[in-house]
Amino acid sequence: MKGYRKYFTRKILWFLITLVSAVILNFILPRLMPGDPIASIVSKIGGAGSNNPAATQAMYEHYQNAFGLDKPVIQQFFIYVKNLLRGDFGLSFSRYPIPVSEVIGNALPWTIGLQFPAIIVGWFLGNILGALAAYIRKGFDKVLMPAMLFLGGVPAFGMAIILLVIFGIGLQWFPFQGGYPPGMIPHMSWKFFAGIISHYHLPFWSIVLISVGGQSLGMRSMSIYELNADYVKYSRYMGIKDRKIVGYVFRNAMLPQITGLALSIGTMISGAMVAEIVFSYPGLGTTLLQGIRENDYPLISASTFIITLMVLTTVFILDIIYGLIDPRIKASQYE
Amino acid sequence: MKNTLRQVFRPGKFLAGFIIFAFILLLTVLYPLFNPGDPLAMIGLNNFTKPGTYVSVYDSLNVNRTFVFKLPDAAEKRIGSKLFPEDRETIKDYLTRLGLPEDSIDIDDTHDLMALWWNNYDPANQIGKTIAERRAYTALDNKLAGIFVSEDLEVLQYDPGTDEYVRKKMVTENDYVNVGDVANTIWLPLGTDNFGADMLKKLVSAIGTSLLIGLIAGVVATMIGLLLGLLAGYLGGIADDVIMFFTNLFTVIPGFILLILISYSIDQSRRGATTVAIVIGLTSWVWTTRSVRAQVISLRNRDHVNLSKLSGHSLPRIVVGDILPYIASYVVMAFILQISSAILAEAGLSMLGLGPKTTDTATLGLVMEWSIMKSAAHISGAWWAYYPVIIVIALISFSLNLMNTGLDQIFNPQLRD
Amino acid sequence: MGKIMMEVNNLSTKYVTRFGEGVYAVNDVSFKVEEGRSLGIAGESGCGKSTLALSLMGYYFAPLHYIQGDILIDGQNISGRKPDDVRKNVLGTEIAYIPQAAMNALNPTRKIIRFIEDVVRAHNPKATKKDIYDLARERFEILNLEPQTLQKHAVELSGGMKQRTVIAVSTILSPKVLIADEPSSALDVTSQKMVIKMIHDLMELGYIKSMIFITHELPLLFNVTDDIMVMYAGQIVEKGSAEQMIFDPVHPYSKGLMGSILVPEGGTRDIKLTAIPGTPPNLKKPPEGCRFAARCKYVKPQCRMTAVSFEDLGNGRGSRCIVPETELREVYGHEQ
Repeated sequence: MKGYRKYFTRKILWFLITLVSAVILNFILPRLMPGDPIASIVSKIGGAGSNNPAATQAMYEHYQNAFGLDKPVIQQFFIYVKNLLRGDFGLSFSRYPIPVSEVIGNALPWTIGLQFPAIIVGWFLGNILGALAAYIRKGFDKVLMPAMLFLGGVPAFGMAIILLVIFGIGLQWFPFQGGYPPGMIPHMSWKFFAGIISHYHLPFWSIVLISVGGQSLGMRSMSIYELNADYVKYSRYMGIKDRKIVGYVFRNAMLPQITGLALSIGTMISGAMVAEIVFSYPGLGTTLLQGIRENDYPLISASTFIITLMVLTTVFILDIIYGLIDPRIKASQYE
Repeated sequence: MKNTLRQVFRPGKFLAGFIIFAFILLLTVLYPLFNPGDPLAMIGLNNFTKPGTYVSVYDSLNVNRTFVFKLPDAAEKRIGSKLFPEDRETIKDYLTRLGLPEDSIDIDDTHDLMALWWNNYDPANQIGKTIAERRAYTALDNKLAGIFVSEDLEVLQYDPGTDEYVRKKMVTENDYVNVGDVANTIWLPLGTDNFGADMLKKLVSAIGTSLLIGLIAGVVATMIGLLLGLLAGYLGGIADDVIMFFTNLFTVIPGFILLILISYSIDQSRRGATTVAIVIGLTSWVWTTRSVRAQVISLRNRDHVNLSKLSGHSLPRIVVGDILPYIASYVVMAFILQISSAILAEAGLSMLGLGPKTTDTATLGLVMEWSIMKSAAHISGAWWAYYPVIIVIALISFSLNLMNTGLDQIFNPQLRD
Repeated sequence: MGKIMMEVNNLSTKYVTRFGEGVYAVNDVSFKVEEGRSLGIAGESGCGKSTLALSLMGYYFAPLHYIQGDILIDGQNISGRKPDDVRKNVLGTEIAYIPQAAMNALNPTRKIIRFIEDVVRAHNPKATKKDIYDLARERFEILNLEPQTLQKHAVELSGGMKQRTVIAVSTILSPKVLIADEPSSALDVTSQKMVIKMIHDLMELGYIKSMIFITHELPLLFNVTDDIMVMYAGQIVEKGSAEQMIFDPVHPYSKGLMGSILVPEGGTRDIKLTAIPGTPPNLKKPPEGCRFAARCKYVKPQCRMTAVSFEDLGNGRGSRCIVPETELREVYGHEQ
């Protein structure tokens, strides 16, 4: 356990550092906008503002308060952090006067419920395919690898559109708009749950397919590398059955794939956000799009911050899991 | 050099990727030569016109506003229109005189009527009371024969210089005319987009712009990555620590999110393709930095570098002469990946409405945004407005990834078959 | 004369590269090893000695391919048997192998005891966990390894410990022949000696019946093995007792190899071999005549014409050279 403590301490420390950096970036970026940030934010409201002058005025005052621009930068930062800690992201322009935290709070469960299972399933499927390609080689690999390379090249939204058109519009197997049947108010019932499931399929499988492409390629290289390792040859010459050795190889190749997932999760989640939009899924991606379309800066800022937070947390959890299950990490801590 | 090239092109993967990419590149260069003009020009067709060849209907001097195309029985209609009712009556008259039952003759059925005439008319068989009647039958027979002789028609083309219609071609008066012989047609292999612009032309121009974005972003990211990687790897110490801190930080903080925030803060009117490309480049240098640094560290203490150091060579000279040549292959590989990820990033960004401004250029992402996000082409079934774009993006990415894998197999022998 | 543990007759194997070319790395190899004795195989790197080590196992998989020849272990022919039969009934129990890269020979993420269980059960599926543990513990003790080592992963062990663990795993089924392919090349001199001593101990205790030791460091063999064979370009060029081979080599290549080595009284010195000018032939297209002809100081025109066969010189010695022994000795005598 002693070796682990150092590893975990380092990982926790790193998580905190990245978290603070994300907060700082989120604080600085709007302030780097040329001119008066509040004026430029509020001027961007455009349509929303002219429809609702009271809202514009309230917004301006709210932001003057929230940004505290007349105060020194350090003090501004502390105001910002204090608001953040209370979960106060300000008020939404486009849905004034609903607080942004409420909009985000409604979207977050949908995104988490959609993206994480899909990415994990995609990761597993990709690893299995990659391992098979590495092990079987020959024809299977010759077909699978280019197919996976191609799949990896399809943008996430492209995959979403293809599935939507084929299975949603063409075959009409699944609904393709929203996260639950239109007209239904979210509540706990089997009927509503069934509605969620049927709406879940298309966005889920498009994220899965996108993840499969990249992951299978990584696993393939990793498995080929492991298959050439000395311990494979030695185990064979000690008379161990090939099937058992293949088990060793896949385990050893799959463990670093956890790190691979941690490194690519940011890109994957970003892609999945755009896929969400294609299906008007009520998650963070759609919320972000709404923010951009309606020039709702507080909504954009909060969405991007929460997405970043999701990525950072996932990376942290993956690092911890990896440290726990790969003995190579434990061993490297003794040095 | 020649040997390296031969080695690079030997694996099928690199070659296949290269061919696909070269094909796409050639398309963007050559297609505009054959089909010049502004790719965004609206050619006046409705939103999302289907692919096909279109004939301008305003060309025709026919003032009747009803146009019927694609008649299934064109020949019958043409002949029918020339066979006047009195002629039909005359035929019927003749046939009944021959003894055919009157109710078996339908004067509206051109085809049957003609068939009966050809079968039964005999110039030798003089039916008719008067010479005038007999002559009328002979004249009718001649006329009917004449219907099948086609005349020539003129195809005119308007010449704006002389303000006159000049004869472009003569075509035989047929039931069908070769489209190539008709003056004002337009071929839309991919139909039109929601603005009525030629989709293929727009797509080709979008590919060009997107490749340019990829190239600029790739160059920016590679330059930053190379510089930071070299500094971190070669200098080590604090420089390495600081650079690696930021590299690791921006590895976990998603570049796409930064891209969204930065793009949003740039006003749309000032967001040109180049600006977007540079911003993408600024947010995607981490992978190059990592791979360059790792390579430099493994090179740093090689004999030839040490020798160079002992000889008192300057830092730039060591880097350019003794380190760069060894990491060039990795940099090229990273650069190739940067291009493809930048093209994908632009597409994603545009889907969110944060792409380059739409008025002067088309990019692959903007075409998608307009087709899907703004006009819902996928719901209305206008497949030509999005499938080709998705396929092109995937093909560009695929070809670049293939090239990268091919190079990887050469430089990482572990992965060889 | 003891019981013959291993007998190899005219063994030839090849490597097939990824471009489909054959590399004829083992050509017409024959030798015998008696019970309780050890045989050393020496040669420059790339001479085919590691390929020979694998070829002797009788278990072939790509890129290594069997061409011809017989391998008899304790009188039993193992060549030509089905791969699964060889895997289950020969590997580990009849013949075992210590790989060159012992450092990476163990699966990094599997506990040592789990791996030993896998090895034992591959041959005896009924073995109980307890029996295997007891066996492993006993062997580990002989090799100076603590029983806790069994519960560790390979990555947690030091280089020397890994080395000993591999020896323990390779010999856990008490093989009749142990093939050690440079098991000590990555270690420092003291560890090397220890490894060699341990293998000897195992042989004395009867856990191993005979041993084949492969190395590029000739002086090492003098102290380790009873007999020595010298290999060049896939062929055995000379064999004899360790003493004969070190002090009185006959073949020009062995002579070249030994000539540069000072052999002090029994001590092993770590001295690099001086290179013989030229490079070994390309084994994709081996020369028709003597394979050493291109580098031989004493080459004659007929050397390049026909293949040279391995001649028995009597007294347990043999050499692959068309120049008669006496003539060679005369030339060597003049040189001194």
